Amino acid sequence: MQQREEKQLESALDSIIQRVNDLKQSIASMIFKIENEYESITWPTFLDNYALISGQLTSLSKVLSHDKCPVLRNLTVLPLMLSPERDEQLAQMTEHRVTTFAHDLCPDYLRTKLEPMAESKMMQLETKALGLQYDNAQKQIATYQKVISHVWDIVSKAREEWETESSSRGNTQQNSSVADTHLLVAAVGMGKGLKMGPNPNGQSNPTSGGMMVTPQGRPGGPPGQGQMPPTTQAMTMNKAPSAIKTNIKSAAQMHPYGR
Amino acid sequence: MGVTILSQFFLDNKTGPQTIEVLSKRIAALGAVQQGHFLVDCETYTSVPQLGHQRTVHVLHNSEQPATVFSLLDNGTKITSLATDGLFDLLMMKMSHFYTSKKQTKVESKGLRYEIGDFCVKLGTVTVSSNCKGILVEVEYRPCVVPAMCWDLMKEFLQGFLGTAAPTNPPAYLQNKMQDIYFPIDTIHQYLDHFTMLRKKLFIS
Amino acid sequence: MSTPGNAMDSLSAALKCNIIPNQEYLLQGSVLDQYVEVLLHRLRGLCDNVDSGPETFHDHEICFSLRIPNSGATTSMPMSVFSLRVRRAIDVTDTPFQLRYIGQQELGDKNRPTVVRSSIDMACSSSIIEFLNELGCRIDFEYIARGYMFRKGRMKITVSKIFKMGSNKQESVEPISQSYIVELSVLAPSGQDSIGEDMRIFAEQLRPLVQLEKIDYKRLSNMM
Repeated sequence: MQQREEKQLESALDSIIQRVNDLKQSIASMIFKIENEYESITWPTFLDNYALISGQLTSLSKVLSHDKCPVLRNLTVLPLMLSPERDEQLAQMTEHRVTTFAHDLCPDYLRTKLEPMAESKMMQLETKALGLQYDNAQKQIATYQKVISHVWDIVSKAREEWETESSSRGNTQQNSSVADTHLLVAAVGMGKGLKMGPNPNGQSNPTSGGMMVTPQGRPGGPPGQGQMPPTTQAMTMNKAPSAIKTNIKSAAQMHPYGR
Repeated sequence: MGVTILSQFFLDNKTGPQTIEVLSKRIAALGAVQQGHFLVDCETYTSVPQLGHQRTVHVLHNSEQPATVFSLLDNGTKITSLATDGLFDLLMMKMSHFYTSKKQTKVESKGLRYEIGDFCVKLGTVTVSSNCKGILVEVEYRPCVVPAMCWDLMKEFLQGFLGTAAPTNPPAYLQNKMQDIYFPIDTIHQYLDHFTMLRKKLFIS
Repeated sequence: MSTPGNAMDSLSAALKCNIIPNQEYLLQGSVLDQYVEVLLHRLRGLCDNVDSGPETFHDHEICFSLRIPNSGATTSMPMSVFSLRVRRAIDVTDTPFQLRYIGQQELGDKNRPTVVRSSIDMACSSSIIEFLNELGCRIDFEYIARGYMFRKGRMKITVSKIFKMGSNKQESVEPISQSYIVELSVLAPSGQDSIGEDMRIFAEQLRPLVQLEKIDYKRLSNMM
């Protein structure tokens, strides 16, 4: 039982540490950006960074509120040994921010309460909130809601316009035709519309005879393989290829890329 | 690749293996070096009766051109040749509805391959369903691709180790194309001619 | 050097090991002529052969068939038909011809992303046309395909214009439609179905310019 809890604690701490590290890194990079690129940084990049940080915060709080995470509040951290000497290991672990684990620093680092300044500020705010008139508060809420709903309206209207525009564009801009696809596939696959002459069962097609002949001047396939039998060579060629060449040229004009 | 002459060889009162032994001794005496083995095989397919007049497709492989399948189609009056990739065999299997092969018709010539200077000599034992049917001697003269220009030289070389059994005239298939450039398919044609002859001999004996 | 093996033995061994690429995975679609440039541009960005640009081709394809007519009375028996295609380049003269057998297409269920059909593809000498004629084949149809070829890994993408051969040889060949046919295919040994998924993803990237789909030939022949 004990062991299981320990294991849970360990894994929970691991994931918390990992997320805190992520968070630390993105905060550091954000600070770096603000300090060094304040002239060139754009709002979208700034917001991207901010969104990243807020996402990491969410995931951190998710980890903390997860069922598997032990209730950290119930655990105590007890400093066993304090020393004014410089501790190299500690320095390394904290990236040289904390070099000694001594009496003066220990309470600051191990505190679970807010800093005194922050604490007093919080107290002030809380008393102020408590002292607020109910009617006043309602009025303020109503004003905020009005403003927010107004912004919401603007955004959703813009979005609607954008969506209808893009969908209507998709409809008008037809890039392909289903009928053409079927026509072409049927032609290439089954010869629809390409068969010449009404000879479903007849003998070899006289009209297409010309193209059956092998063209002149073609050596017999790949090197080292057989050559054309002399009979075919003797038959040579009618004018078919030259006819095709000229015809293709007219088709080439609609080609985007010339040869 | 050069010009190849294929000729049959036999010795009276000697079996196939004995003949091969005699020949390999002779060729070794000339200084030939054995360079591996070779195999030429031939599968024959005939058209089914529904397809009209009978045609025969001979599909041959030659270990000298291992990636190529040679096919010779005989329609009774004329032979059409074709060279393709190795997958042609697969295609013939797909065509089994139209062209069928009988196992007994498979012929092959296999044996040792020798090199001697510019010549390459192959001593092949021809078998039909593992029965020895004869000996085929293939001689290739590699520097030349026109038969007419090297026939005399090759004849002399053949006489050197086949003696009086050497052919005195070019193979029938080559006789009217002595001035043409020689291609591997021409070797295949010669093999088919001999295989057909030897197959017939099988039916006589 | 070891004894050379029998060709048929090594073929059946290769068949057994399933290393022969005899399955074609296929998706088809088309694009209207006026948008082909946009498609080519997109393909240039998506495909491997970026530097060299698209490869062009200009081919003549002839589809042959070998048939045994059904014998008289038994008309219900389907005629035995065997189709073979020969393709030759018109623009290049020193390439071998291509011989191709394409089997029945399998659409499979909805989950299968592509059409699968058996395919035997080989280079051959130019005597193939005469050879097929002598074999008893006759020409079914023929066409000219002219277009562009792209590669993306194992995938091949062709964008081609299909022309009908003029009935008179001196006449011009005419395009059969105002669109280019677009084909996405892979030739692989059987059983490599994961390639279909890659193809589906690639096809997705070409939308809405081209809708590459499994097209059922049987339904198509009933429709048209």
